[in-house]
Amino acid sequence: MILAIDTTAGTTAAVVDKQQVLGFSEFEDRFGHAENIGNAIEQALQQAKVAAADISSVAISRGPASYTGLRVGMAAGIAFATSRSIPLVAVVALDAVATANPVENSEQWMVVSDAKRGEFFSCRYSGVDESGLAIRFSEPEVLKPEQVEKYSDLARVDINSDAKLIGMYAEKAIEAGVDLSDATALYLRSPDVTPSTKKRVTG
Amino acid sequence: MIQIRDLTEADVEAVYQLEKKIFKSDAWSKQNLIADSQASHTHYFVAEENQEVVGYAGLSSPPGSFQADINTIAIAESHRRQGIAHQLVERMIHMATRNGAENMFLDVRADNLSAIKLYESFSFDQIDVRKNYYQPAGVDALVMRKRISQPLVMGIETSCDETGVGIVRGNRLISNALNSSMEIHARFGGVVPEVAARAHLEALKPTIDSALSEAGIEISDLDAISVTNGPGLSGALMVGIGAAKAIAVAHDKPLYAVNHLVGHVGADILERGSLQTPSIALLVSGGHTSLLLVRDLLDDVELLGETIDDAAGEAFDKVARVLGLPYPGGPEIDKVAINGNPQAIRFPRGLNLPKDMAEHQYDFSFSGLKTAVARYVEKAEDSSEEVQVADVAASFREAVVDVLISKAVKACIEYDVPRLILGGGVTANARLREVAKLKCDEAGIELRIPKFSLCTDNGAMIASLGAQLVMAGRKPSGLGFGSESTMDVSKVQSL
Repeated sequence: MILAIDTTAGTTAAVVDKQQVLGFSEFEDRFGHAENIGNAIEQALQQAKVAAADISSVAISRGPASYTGLRVGMAAGIAFATSRSIPLVAVVALDAVATANPVENSEQWMVVSDAKRGEFFSCRYSGVDESGLAIRFSEPEVLKPEQVEKYSDLARVDINSDAKLIGMYAEKAIEAGVDLSDATALYLRSPDVTPSTKKRVTG
Repeated sequence: MIQIRDLTEADVEAVYQLEKKIFKSDAWSKQNLIADSQASHTHYFVAEENQEVVGYAGLSSPPGSFQADINTIAIAESHRRQGIAHQLVERMIHMATRNGAENMFLDVRADNLSAIKLYESFSFDQIDVRKNYYQPAGVDALVMRKRISQPLVMGIETSCDETGVGIVRGNRLISNALNSSMEIHARFGGVVPEVAARAHLEALKPTIDSALSEAGIEISDLDAISVTNGPGLSGALMVGIGAAKAIAVAHDKPLYAVNHLVGHVGADILERGSLQTPSIALLVSGGHTSLLLVRDLLDDVELLGETIDDAAGEAFDKVARVLGLPYPGGPEIDKVAINGNPQAIRFPRGLNLPKDMAEHQYDFSFSGLKTAVARYVEKAEDSSEEVQVADVAASFREAVVDVLISKAVKACIEYDVPRLILGGGVTANARLREVAKLKCDEAGIELRIPKFSLCTDNGAMIASLGAQLVMAGRKPSGLGFGSESTMDVSKVQSL
């Protein structure tokens, strides 16, 4: 039984077992991740009528997404798994969305999400494998508006990721033997800083 | 209606009269009573009815002893068998627990069966007999002990560039694991919030794991979790908050959201086994320069002053950059200042003029000082003079230390507080420690500088503050709190 956590948009937590969502909790506030993460997990467990001890693994969404919110869910998932000594897996949110929303009869499609500054997090997919997982055609990347334009003929999915999708994807992927052990955040951008230089105070 | 309250000086006469009546020839002298009840390590309580003292009790709990002794307890003949002794013992157990006692001891006459029964009801067990202790009757004394189980608390700290996870039991330090991202910030010349937050996420699991393995405990053994939720860098704080909430839910443990700055004061509890109050605390780091008056760690912390611009540590970093020294600047400036003359250049002391005293008596300002150093260096460079780096470093350091310690000592004197606690990374500064020692000795102030691992940001101090809240019977914070980057020091716990 998987506890899934996703804070790429709002704050969501889900308990997933055998592709069934047993419990799901969602807080839509995109600036309230730190406030809501505890209640989201607790409510998902309560709704599923399971105890924390019944959870056998944790799946977190590793982005890409807005950094600060993303980290809250990842920190929670890492801490939950560490503290209960259960396995942790991490899912690229775009993969989970693509797998849940394959575009049929289409050679290629792309999943996009808002990356702020007019840019988009994006990944292109082509078909699904025998386990039902969307097959990547590109790596997850940040696209400028004009780059998105280049793919205007591709079918586009812009659904937000959530914990249900993360949990269901993780379950399928684990079963298929996909390696989801990289639990680092997928920021896709470097921190916005430049090394310091010495500035004069006198003119 | 019986009321139990702290003994005041005005009660001494009434207590002495009761003491004489009850203990007759064994009674303490009035001088002894005054001395013991007013000692800093004792707590005396009186039971009062209609403004009349009808009972009293005294508890002794020396700082750092981790134990407490019931020195005396007596109830007026007319008021026995009304549960007053029960209330007094309960109050003393509460006080002993709050003081960090792990064992509580008492002596009782072997023939005082009702008293023995009372103590047994509070889980005191007989551990020894003192034969013929009470003379001239030759009655034995039973030595009884109650074990107090102090709370095992894990604290998580991620307010700046140190990921800290510490574990304490009551007033005792059990483990203190730390991962710092300082080296990554070096190339930027200061802490970059996003870089710090990223580092916290990566350091989270290893730091939790080391704190647990160092302590040799399981998470399920914990009684509570505490976490810093401010003040600090929002994105960084949120990593710790997310982690702490998940652990609390995963193990159904109470969670306490606590103030980082008050945590620094709580660090001294782990060093000496208890916190002496009132106390002035000077917290100096790269992010803070705050002067606090701590009358009570949980209920009465007052901000006397703070920096109005740069933190002291930040000033060290910036001046180091001006002098071409690496980050972090504190230790580097310390190193070169050894060979410098602190009186070589008279740099300005911020907010130290008579006109500043009205509004900024205990505030600090280091921005002007930093600029003065930069001007001095640039002027020298422009006229192709060789900059005497050692002298500049020593003179700058002297200016910072002078202002910090003068104001702290002044606060101790003005508020009549006989002790000063230093906290924060800048306490590593050799000259700061030296001057603090000198000035405190001069003024008869006790100086407390916890060991360095407890002075810099760390998880143990957060665990310590959490433990104090548990020991005082405070309610947990619940799961709904967020980060508060500019939290006031008067807010010790977020609910």
